[in-house]
Amino acid sequence: MAAVTLTNVVKRFGNFEVVHGANIDIADGEFVVFVGPSGCGKSTLLRMVAGLEDISGGDIAIGGKVVNDVEPADRGIAMVFQSYALYPHMTVEQNLSFGLRMNGNPRADTERRVKRAAEILRIDELMQRRPKQLSGGQRQRVAIGRAIVREPQVFLFDEPLSNLDAELRVQMRVEISRLHKELGVTMIYVTHDQTEAMTLADRIVVLKAGNVEQIGAPLDLYDDPANRFVAGFIGSPKMNFLSAKVVDTSNSAAIIELVNHGGARLSKPLRDAFPAIGAEIVLGVRPEHFFEAGEGDCDIPIKADVAEHLGSVSYVYANAGPEELIVEREASRQRAGGDHFTVSIKAERSLLFDKSGARIR
Amino acid sequence: MRTQNATAYRFLTPYLLIFAVFWIWPIISSFLISFQATRTVPWRFAPAFNWGRLIGDPAFYNALKNTLLILVIQVPVMIALAIVMAVLLNSPLLKARGLYRFAFFAPVVVGEVAYSAVFRLMFSLDFGIVNKLLNSIGLPKVDWFSNVTPAMALIMIAVTWRWAGYNAIIILAGLQSIPEDVYEAATLDRVSKVKQFFHITLPLLKPVIVFCAVLSIIGTMQLFTEPFLITERGGPGGGTETLGLLLYRQGFRSLNFGYASAVAYTMAGLAIAITLVQLWLMREPK
Ligand SMILES: Nc1ncnc2c1ncn2[C@@H]1O[C@H](COP(=O)(O)OP(=O)(O)OP(=O)(O)O)[C@@H](O)[C@H]1O
Ligand SMILES: [Mg+2]
Repeated sequence: MAAVTLTNVVKRFGNFEVVHGANIDIADGEFVVFVGPSGCGKSTLLRMVAGLEDISGGDIAIGGKVVNDVEPADRGIAMVFQSYALYPHMTVEQNLSFGLRMNGNPRADTERRVKRAAEILRIDELMQRRPKQLSGGQRQRVAIGRAIVREPQVFLFDEPLSNLDAELRVQMRVEISRLHKELGVTMIYVTHDQTEAMTLADRIVVLKAGNVEQIGAPLDLYDDPANRFVAGFIGSPKMNFLSAKVVDTSNSAAIIELVNHGGARLSKPLRDAFPAIGAEIVLGVRPEHFFEAGEGDCDIPIKADVAEHLGSVSYVYANAGPEELIVEREASRQRAGGDHFTVSIKAERSLLFDKSGARIR
Repeated sequence: MRTQNATAYRFLTPYLLIFAVFWIWPIISSFLISFQATRTVPWRFAPAFNWGRLIGDPAFYNALKNTLLILVIQVPVMIALAIVMAVLLNSPLLKARGLYRFAFFAPVVVGEVAYSAVFRLMFSLDFGIVNKLLNSIGLPKVDWFSNVTPAMALIMIAVTWRWAGYNAIIILAGLQSIPEDVYEAATLDRVSKVKQFFHITLPLLKPVIVFCAVLSIIGTMQLFTEPFLITERGGPGGGTETLGLLLYRQGFRSLNFGYASAVAYTMAGLAIAITLVQLWLMREPK
């Protein structure tokens, strides 16, 4: 059984702190994705779990046992590197079996494990080739195979798909998902691509500059982000943020005015906190949550700059004063740059944030 | 395209001329000379004269034996030493890496005559620091210059001192081109540092090591300075005479150009042969 628990984990490089006390609970068999922009400390966290970086503070436990001072090889983990890190001078077969051979694993068992990994990943044909003679996707498979033969309790992936082209990435994403179902072991997966995170994860950990911003199931993050950063990071295209001002509050709602949209007003029901009248706030609306004029609670007229037609949907980019809005429309060939039209916002399909980016519920 | 090439070649002409006159022609010319008896005037064509003499010449075999002996012992020892030095230089624990890198490289820059003089002083029988050190740890003095075995050892030590650092720097570059995450993957595979060295570092360094070995073999085949300056023209009594020295003695002391050319071609031929064998032994498995 291998749950992974990070308690107040801190990482410093010299005096430079890059992870500021991360608390993350990962259940046995769970697929957790660490996601965040470049440099936020995802790889560092993963490498600390693997034991490739020391832990400056806090504890990491795998399977209930604190592993801060346990050798990487004794942690029951296997890691797949972004650059694959295959042994260039060895054949695929030797790459897979190297670790086991070096540790005097019985030959029959090594062969069994290598064979099984090759079958799972469908690389039987490639066993005698060297990494140089493989395509990117094949190398990635071998790298995953090398992790599988270790029969680890926890798989760690550090941006395993970022060197692949778009089509292959989708294909490998599905394979990794399948692998997780087949093996049923805990997996921690690092990526900066929110689509990968959304599609793969049981739960997502959103990181920003060394802080955990939010942990939750993909759709929970989508529906109920804790702050403006998570709201903007999860979902594609990005959520629109409209500047607004509180003009009145009642005991269950705030009346806000969209300052860049000709004073359009929206009554937003609130539960917990009530911002002061006159406070500057931000209204978040996802591109897919703009409705036809009159269908929502607040109509705003916009002028399209550019329209992108993807076939299934169209995205209209509109400039409204200083704000760029992205509006998703049903596929339509009619919309084009220069069109004027009106969209509508629904109060329950919008989110409110204060100036610092915290969610107002 | 044509005219472009022509222009390029016109710019290259001065170099090509010099190359032809001072490189190509001597190579051809000495080959021809090696088939001529050059101690009669005029020279006459006599293929067996030099090459026949070579086959039966004890001085040639002595020089060949000395050269190969130095080659067989000095090159592997030096390359092994260079690998160790490179690994140490590459260690993240090392402070002032730049300084060491310069220090290791410095011997190559030192003038040959200066370095030979220093070696003669250091190994001198009565005043040399080496014998003083040997004495101080209870070992007898060694007469480095009057006995063949110590004299040969001295040559090997000197050549190794001069070139090990140079090779270490080349190998260091090779070491630095091995990606760090390969070692990290091996660490996760529970492969010890020592096993990582033998199963990952060495195989990946192979091309660089072969390159260094080939350079060293070619250099040692032509070895001249050390036996000329340090052991005084191959002394004691020809005990450290190398092929390079024999060539010099024949060509420039006895003015026997034909024989010297034959020796030169033998040296080059041997260097090529040994290098080819080496490349074949170290070839990439298919
Ligand atoms: N060895 C190191 N020494 C000093 N600082 C480091 C070191 N490794 C990483 N950092 C810093 O730590 C921070 C987090 O780095 P990390 O590699 O974890 O980012 P990341 O989230 O994986 O980014 P990316 O998506 O670009 O891979 C960065 O600011 C980086 O500059
Ligand atoms: Mg990273």
